Amino acid sequence: MIWLVGAVVFWGLAWALNVWLAGSRMGQRRAGRIAVATLFGVTILVLWEGLVRGFAVPPVILPGPSVIGPTIATSLPVLWADFVQTVVKGALTGFAIGTAAAFVTAIAIDRSPFLQRGLLPIGNFVSALPIVGLAPILVMWFGFDWQSKAAVVVVMVFFPLLVNMVAGLQATDRLSRDLMATWSASYWQGLFKLRLPAAMPFIFNGLKIAATLALIGAIVAEFFGSPIVGMGFRISTEVGRLGLDMVWATIAVAALSGSAFYGLIAWIESRVTFWHPSQRG
Amino acid sequence: MSDRAIPVLTVVAGIVALWYAASVWMNATWVFDQAERAGTVVTWAEVVPQTMAQDRPLLPPPHQVAAQLWQGITGQAVTSKRSLVYHGFVTFRGTMLGFGLGIVLGVSLAMAIVRFRVMELSVMPWAIISQTIPIVALAPMILTLSNQLGIDSREVPKAIISAYLSFFPVLVSMVTGLRSPDRIQIDLLATYGASPGQVFWKLRLPASMPYFFASLKVAVAAALIGTIVGELPTGAIEGLGARMLIGSQFGEPLIMWAALFAAAILAGLLILAVGLVERMARARMGVAP
Amino acid sequence: MKKFLSAAVLATLATGAQAQDVTLQLKWVTQAQFAGYYVAEAKGFYDEEGLNVTIKPGGPDIAPTQVIAGGGADVIVEWMPAALAAREKGLPLVNIAQPFKSSGMMLTCLKESGITSPADFADKTLGVWFFGNEYPFLSWMSQLGLATDGSPGGVTVLKQGFNVDPLLQKQAACISTMTYNEYWQVIDAGISPDDLVTFKYQDQGVATMEDGLYVLEENLKDPAFEEKMVKFVRASMKGWKYAEENPDEAAMIVLENDETGAQTESHQKRMMSEVAKLTAGSNGALDPADYERTVASLLSPGSDPVISKAPEGAWTHQISDKALQ
Repeated sequence: MIWLVGAVVFWGLAWALNVWLAGSRMGQRRAGRIAVATLFGVTILVLWEGLVRGFAVPPVILPGPSVIGPTIATSLPVLWADFVQTVVKGALTGFAIGTAAAFVTAIAIDRSPFLQRGLLPIGNFVSALPIVGLAPILVMWFGFDWQSKAAVVVVMVFFPLLVNMVAGLQATDRLSRDLMATWSASYWQGLFKLRLPAAMPFIFNGLKIAATLALIGAIVAEFFGSPIVGMGFRISTEVGRLGLDMVWATIAVAALSGSAFYGLIAWIESRVTFWHPSQRG
Repeated sequence: MSDRAIPVLTVVAGIVALWYAASVWMNATWVFDQAERAGTVVTWAEVVPQTMAQDRPLLPPPHQVAAQLWQGITGQAVTSKRSLVYHGFVTFRGTMLGFGLGIVLGVSLAMAIVRFRVMELSVMPWAIISQTIPIVALAPMILTLSNQLGIDSREVPKAIISAYLSFFPVLVSMVTGLRSPDRIQIDLLATYGASPGQVFWKLRLPASMPYFFASLKVAVAAALIGTIVGELPTGAIEGLGARMLIGSQFGEPLIMWAALFAAAILAGLLILAVGLVERMARARMGVAP
Repeated sequence: MKKFLSAAVLATLATGAQAQDVTLQLKWVTQAQFAGYYVAEAKGFYDEEGLNVTIKPGGPDIAPTQVIAGGGADVIVEWMPAALAAREKGLPLVNIAQPFKSSGMMLTCLKESGITSPADFADKTLGVWFFGNEYPFLSWMSQLGLATDGSPGGVTVLKQGFNVDPLLQKQAACISTMTYNEYWQVIDAGISPDDLVTFKYQDQGVATMEDGLYVLEENLKDPAFEEKMVKFVRASMKGWKYAEENPDEAAMIVLENDETGAQTESHQKRMMSEVAKLTAGSNGALDPADYERTVASLLSPGSDPVISKAPEGAWTHQISDKALQ
């Protein structure tokens, strides 16, 4: 009972502090923003712990953060091996191949309006499909190791990026293109000096979507067969063994790597597209 | 219309041709293997027809998938458990439930975020982080926890997973939309002595509608993905995702492919329907189509 | 006779005017492996006992042990190794009945891989199920002295999905199969039995008990729960024996209960006839000798025992004695 009350009181206090922070001049600054967000995250953890202890939830159902934390600390080698297998080998390789393929395809069909008109609706449609359903089939084709996971990721990221890229390459206005023409710029000069930079906001939009899809694809594929390492493997195995602390530790790693990956792309975007209104605001 | 139809059809024809080539190439290995086990030699002329009609092809040719799909849709009463229409409907129901939940969650969070600065500072970063957590990692946990809370229905965990994916596009678009009115418009309402409630109902909400409808297309696709992920490893009882799993388990690739295409058709119909609703709403609001 | 029967039915109706609810969590999707329970339901054996039984199918992400811990089921179908491992984790599961006498698990290898005896496993790739089903394999390997962590001289383990593709695609030298299911999928796929080598856990002396009924220890102290379980076990065993005698009818009953509609008649009929061989010889009561063998196998002196010490109170005849009088 004391845990429940304590957690709720903490929640109230933290919220009051946040309201004050957000209203004060601190809330306008970067440090203040981070403080508010962090405090909110900490509150969720405290509430979680309080609920688990207050209602005496058995650890095989939901372990509290106080159990999960030490598990993360003691199983770092395992978590690291899983991370390398799933994120580095599966997701990142697939992401690199998929984005490169989309990039090349977009430029290859750039000169053919006919192909663009044909591919764009199909690409739009395919990027709305539940591609994850292909996972069992691709595992059958490419075997058990990370190659099949990367293949799932390639298929998942290819279409959203292609669609964004094709749209981005068409985003320049007639006037700018005519200007390039009056300077007698070649096709490639026009592409690299005008149209590609102008397409960057679209491309990064696609990359951000692709980043979240990549991890989902790599983990789902592990459900359909994997070596005995990897985040999807760890989750499904440890659920069966009632090692729920390990499951949540893996989820934490997944969340951390997902956020870091997304954050990295957002950071590169802010460097590359510094000229765009959305970044100047 | 025809200036788009011809290129699209050309590309589709190209894909089908590639598909046939790939299925001959991929399925041939098995024919050769079988011949080797039987101790006979086969020529390519004999192999090609055999790659077109295997029970367990690595890549079934398009006509095999189409036949299976057609059989699944029309081969029995739509209420039968063998009917893809029935399972498509189960998935559709889950998607709609998650989609609805996602809209409610997304819109109400957006309203709170626009109204209270503290909500924006504390919730918004975590909403973004929530989308970077691979949902499949959480799916088994959502299942256990909802079971623990005494929710016995299979629909609920599925809907939660699906709402988890679909609320985000709605949230982001609604925040942008609710903030889209210009300063000058808000000032004008202030000179009329409008209350904050009136500003919201008469200016901010109508202004956000185009953004809202634009986000729905993304959200409905996300909801469908969430539902299938929820059916694939967690429920495995009914729905298109469950059929993909059973197809995989019993080594029946045709069942898997048919379910996959049924899901694609469902996705197409959903996007079409959302587009229609959007157009109707725009027409009513007097925005040029 | 007829009069007596209807009187008995009336009596049960009168005493159990409100039927007692029992929720059973299966280990896997609806298939003939669980035919006894579906038959007992369809043939009204549960009704006769005044029970209202809900059968929940499992799936790749559903751990029965976790479901029962969360209160989602009264009784679960589980394998002994997973139940004992859960017991060590602090979830006191007790076996109340054991409808499966023999183990159906085996390793099926392609002859062309050159494997003729377990000694040839070294440096080969073997497919294994996880999710609590890896324990029998791990304890066998540890008895053979083969490392499973990928170190040289050991075996390379891969987590096979839910089908036999790794063998067909030659991604693994051997895969785990059940006599009643995956083995036949390999055969169906066109590989003749002559091209295969199989090692049954039963024959290798490392069989562990499969598909038993487990409940939570604390519930057994409740007389009302005990009574309910006695009825449940009695009716379930009646279902199993009926299924053994009428395999085709049982398979059709299973098929009717399959909600995915993707299962086929031929698969289920064959599975039922194979499952009948495993349930034959069990009247529902756990055989302590089988239990001792299971525990010994799991405790085996290898590097990585599944359980660290012999469990106590992991099974009881309390229910089956009363049910099978």
